Amino acid sequence: MAVIVTDHLSKHYQVHKKEPGFIGSIKSLFSRKYETVKAVDDVSFSINEGEVVGFIGPNGAGKTTTLKCLSGLLYPTKGKVSVLDFIPFNRKSAFLKQISLVMGQKNQLWWDLPAMDTFLLNKEIYQIPTGQFEKVLGDLSDRLGVKDILHIPVRKLSLGQRMKMELIASLLHSPKVLFLDEPTIGLDVVMQKTIRAFLKEYNQAYNATIILTSHYMGDVEALCKRVIVINFGKILYDGLLSDLVREHAPYKIIKIILSEKIDEKKLPEFGETRSYSYPEWEVRIKHENANEIASKILKQFPVEDITIEDPQMEDVIAGFFSANKKG
Amino acid sequence: MSLLVFFLQTKKGKIQRVSKKYMKAYWTVAKNTWSEVLAYRASFILFRVRELLQLFSTYFIWYFVTSENRVFFGYTQATMLTYVIVGAFVNDVIFSTRTTAIASEINEGNLSNFLVKPFSYLQYHFWRDFGDKAMNIIFSICELTVFFFLLHPPFIFQHNFLLIFLFVLSLLFGLILYFFISILISFIGFWSNEGWGPRFIFYQTVGFFSGALFPLDILPKSLYSLFQFSPFTYLTYFPTKLYLGELSQKEIFQGFLLMGIWIIVMNRIAIFVWKKGLKTYTAQGR
Repeated sequence: MAVIVTDHLSKHYQVHKKEPGFIGSIKSLFSRKYETVKAVDDVSFSINEGEVVGFIGPNGAGKTTTLKCLSGLLYPTKGKVSVLDFIPFNRKSAFLKQISLVMGQKNQLWWDLPAMDTFLLNKEIYQIPTGQFEKVLGDLSDRLGVKDILHIPVRKLSLGQRMKMELIASLLHSPKVLFLDEPTIGLDVVMQKTIRAFLKEYNQAYNATIILTSHYMGDVEALCKRVIVINFGKILYDGLLSDLVREHAPYKIIKIILSEKIDEKKLPEFGETRSYSYPEWEVRIKHENANEIASKILKQFPVEDITIEDPQMEDVIAGFFSANKKG
Repeated sequence: MSLLVFFLQTKKGKIQRVSKKYMKAYWTVAKNTWSEVLAYRASFILFRVRELLQLFSTYFIWYFVTSENRVFFGYTQATMLTYVIVGAFVNDVIFSTRTTAIASEINEGNLSNFLVKPFSYLQYHFWRDFGDKAMNIIFSICELTVFFFLLHPPFIFQHNFLLIFLFVLSLLFGLILYFFISILISFIGFWSNEGWGPRFIFYQTVGFFSGALFPLDILPKSLYSLFQFSPFTYLTYFPTKLYLGELSQKEIFQGFLLMGIWIIVMNRIAIFVWKKGLKTYTAQGR
């Protein structure tokens, strides 16, 4: 069942252009020049219940704008949006009670009060029965390991602890649809992993539909089977992450540690050497003949250690974007 | 209380009654604001000290002006000093507000957090003010007690219960009126990042026109009668004069009527501007 549907969704902004400096400011008082920015341009997709979809794209690609259209914060310029059979922009209570938007760079917690006070307010706002509230809060705070800091003022918490509290505040009403905009921004690796694992559990436990944007490919790899890649407001790819990798990065990387120096002239025979500085040698080879080449290398050279790796997601995506440049 | 709720609850232009269920949420907002004030005890106390110093300075100016039984524009020392003291209390009730934060909540985009919740942002701010005012009133009463203990001012205690009731009613009207005026100033944030400039001018204007610095009836008659039509008159001057029992029945009736009209006018303008503002906010996104 499709929970989220967008049909030729477009969102254009009028941005006023100002010449630099003081004179420019004066000029702009009298005659303003406007430019239309197509933040989202004719985007159509459909997402089913329980899916976790990653939005990938560089800064300014239109990811956040799409999320804001889906959560009812932005009025679309053109096209249709439907979430849980509601038109998001009407912001009906029945709709808002079933969704949540988590923005990594904005917080809803009351800064000077313990997170518990925000939770209690959300309990009243979403009219969560006391029994359910206690059960869900207990469950969420257990999973994130924050039981003992619920009563400490938010301003005294670390960034990671705060993010966990933000997540709890957004999930207390057990939303069916969850929009996550950079949920792991600024967090350390361990914390990122915790949050990822938590989101995965949440998705499975509540069969929640999740859309996630992130700059950390790790988030996307860990959580999303399906990705939608956007740039300049347009969808460049919509499909399985594994297919994207296979299509756009059909190679593997062999990393070798040599025990003796070798004749550098022989290196190009095996594939594209990405770096060589004795004793380390890194070579990029075609996906399908990885095993064959690896055994060849083992036979011909004095190898101390050898590993075959998948390409880094960051590299895949970077390669993908440079192949799809505007124009 | 239901009147306040009545004015604030608007959906698609229609006024709706608020359900009891939501009252709990608003009550929690008031409670949280209360605890928030306590989280910054030192700055709150310093703020109160500033208010007290202001009271002291105004008090002593009028004390000396009206000393030796001089009657100043019809004010004896007792009436003038009662005006100053009651006026200070009225200011605490009416002017204490958190709505100044709305502009930055708009500018920084934190408004979005409220818009994605099934919750009225304007109600939220009204109840925040409720918590804030409650705290200010308690402090104001404590301070005035100390003030009386130290200075033994010549104070007129009002014994007429009807007048006291009308005085309290005028405070309620006044704080609703000020709420709408104040959020209107903050809504500048929808169109500009520089909301503080207008707000400072606004403070100066209100200070002068409300009668917080001096009773308005010491002004020339023509000017004073013009002032009666301004909304600011009802924020300090009107309630304080009501307390003093110096208004005629006709003046009281006319005052409440004009106050009511101003509340409706400001309410309509505020809701109109709020909707316009939301439109630009949701068009641009922040």
